[in-house]
Amino acid sequence: MSDREANRAATRRRMRRVLVDRGIDVVLMVFSLLMLLPLVFLVSNGFKTPQEMLAWPPTIIPANPTTDNFAAVLQDTPLLRWIFNSVVFAVLSTLAILATSSIAGYILAKFRYRSLNVIFALVLATAIVPFEVYMIPLYFQAQSLGILNSIWGLLLGYLVMSFGIFLIRQNVIHSIPDELLEAARIDGAGELWIFFRIVLPLLRGALGALGVLAFFQAWTAFAWPMIVATNREAYTIEVGLALFQTGFTVDLGRLSAASAIVLIPSITLFVILRRNFVQGVASTGLKE
Amino acid sequence: MAAVEIRNVAKSFGPTDIIRNVTVEVPDGAFVVLVGPSGCGKSTLLRMIAGLEDIDKGEISIGGRVINDVEPKHRDIAMVFQNYALYPHMTIAENMGFSLRLARQSKKEIEERVQEAARILGLSEYLHRYPKQLSGGQRQRVAMGRAIVRQPQVFLFDEPLSNLDAKLRVQMRGELKDMHARFKTTTIYVTHDQIEAMTMADLIVVMRDGVVEQIGTPLDLYDYPANMFVGSFIGSPAMNFLKGAVRQVNGQQVFETGSGFRLPLHAAAAAPDGLMATLGIRPEHLSLSRAGEGLAGRIVTIEPTGSETFVVLQLGEDRISALLRQRLTASVGDELWLAPQLDTTHLFDSATTKRLTGS
Repeated sequence: MSDREANRAATRRRMRRVLVDRGIDVVLMVFSLLMLLPLVFLVSNGFKTPQEMLAWPPTIIPANPTTDNFAAVLQDTPLLRWIFNSVVFAVLSTLAILATSSIAGYILAKFRYRSLNVIFALVLATAIVPFEVYMIPLYFQAQSLGILNSIWGLLLGYLVMSFGIFLIRQNVIHSIPDELLEAARIDGAGELWIFFRIVLPLLRGALGALGVLAFFQAWTAFAWPMIVATNREAYTIEVGLALFQTGFTVDLGRLSAASAIVLIPSITLFVILRRNFVQGVASTGLKE
Repeated sequence: MAAVEIRNVAKSFGPTDIIRNVTVEVPDGAFVVLVGPSGCGKSTLLRMIAGLEDIDKGEISIGGRVINDVEPKHRDIAMVFQNYALYPHMTIAENMGFSLRLARQSKKEIEERVQEAARILGLSEYLHRYPKQLSGGQRQRVAMGRAIVRQPQVFLFDEPLSNLDAKLRVQMRGELKDMHARFKTTTIYVTHDQIEAMTMADLIVVMRDGVVEQIGTPLDLYDYPANMFVGSFIGSPAMNFLKGAVRQVNGQQVFETGSGFRLPLHAAAAAPDGLMATLGIRPEHLSLSRAGEGLAGRIVTIEPTGSETFVVLQLGEDRISALLRQRLTASVGDELWLAPQLDTTHLFDSATTKRLTGS
């Protein structure tokens, strides 16, 4: 083959690669727009008047932007209180799940007692029992503990996450060789020191991912907060938002405004923990 | 420094006996290599010395102190693992100083000792890097450095060179020997590689199936293997074994192979006539001979390496290999006559596999 032909073939190959790349870009772009559009509409609807909201075709940028919906939501409902409840609930639940998962996952992965296998099997078994099955007994428990309508009541069902224990156990097995712990034991480290100074730092990635999953699990929880919180002040934001949908009407303007406000903490957290979240989804194979 | 005594030690995992009644004395300051095929229990024995496995029976003492129930950290040992076991989230300096930090040494003391170990091992410029930024050989050196800074009574090495490439392995072998010569710390080293054992050890302990087969200096094991297993395990290429019987021919004791060849036995052989025996001949102790002298067989393989030629012959049902100093003009299928040097053959009792030749 002459040099010129070879050059031409190389150019053709390069062109084809560029075209394929651009094609993929276009498809991904279209899909991301389709995914983003509802969020954009949600925010823009918050700024629309009721008439404009029902107008066809819908507008992305409101013709007469108004903050009435936001003002109404903030005045008529304890929205900020609900957000506060949700944030406290989600943060405490995340911390509790991180603590319980890392301790249990590490012990189940690295300590060899036959009874631990049984415990691990039980932990896995709880993962296949739907929450709805033990929701009611748990409610009575919360009631007898006198923690209904409180953060502690909300937390009762969200302290331990069997999937988190499983995730950490697998991570410990895969990323922390026994020799590392043995080396530390010979070096003179006690078990607590090993856990805090060696195991936890090495699990940072997995704990970050689990933290994000746990946070959003609590943040989006609906059924349990719904039954454990019976007065308006104790609602979480998910339960509060549902109030805008009554049996007969949906107050779209206020619902949009409230939802837009609620998005702020979620988006902030996502931006901060973006890398962990992607890693978490990649390492767990979960789509949330 | 301290002597290590292992007395009648046994260990089993469930119904499987891993270590059976092992007794080894490691002299103060010696470099002792535990060698044997995988699963022979050598690593388990080392881990028992380190305190990472319980001792079911028997006693282990370091420097005269029985350490059966002493925690690993109080045994005054340092261990180097096959996969280095460096803490990935700590710098090299932190890795090396970790044990000193736990022992609450002063910052200055830690830094001095880490610097000194790093200087010896040529790691001074890497102290602020992380393990993943170093090559395999450098990581191995860090692992050694971590052991050195503790100034322990005993160094334990668990196949430390297995993860390195061949060239680096030879280099690190030399460095380990240098290190031992410098510190004179009692060292127990586990490997499955008999070359490592031969080149590094003052004393080799050959193990099989949880039992010590022989203890001796490298050349002792090579020259006087106690049984067929040690004979085949020590030395490379492996020893040839020919089955046959001891006979009396013209007033002289000879070994008659299954395929009818007769090889004279040296006077020290202490075997009754008619005994079913196995003759061990190392490939490097065979040399070309005249037709009718020694053994003859058809060439199956010829591997010239330049300095020497490795040939495999088929003798009836037996196959023997030979490492010849000269080059061969013969080719595969040709007949070749080889004769062993008389004083280097090893006679084993076929029934017990034990050595018969008087030593």
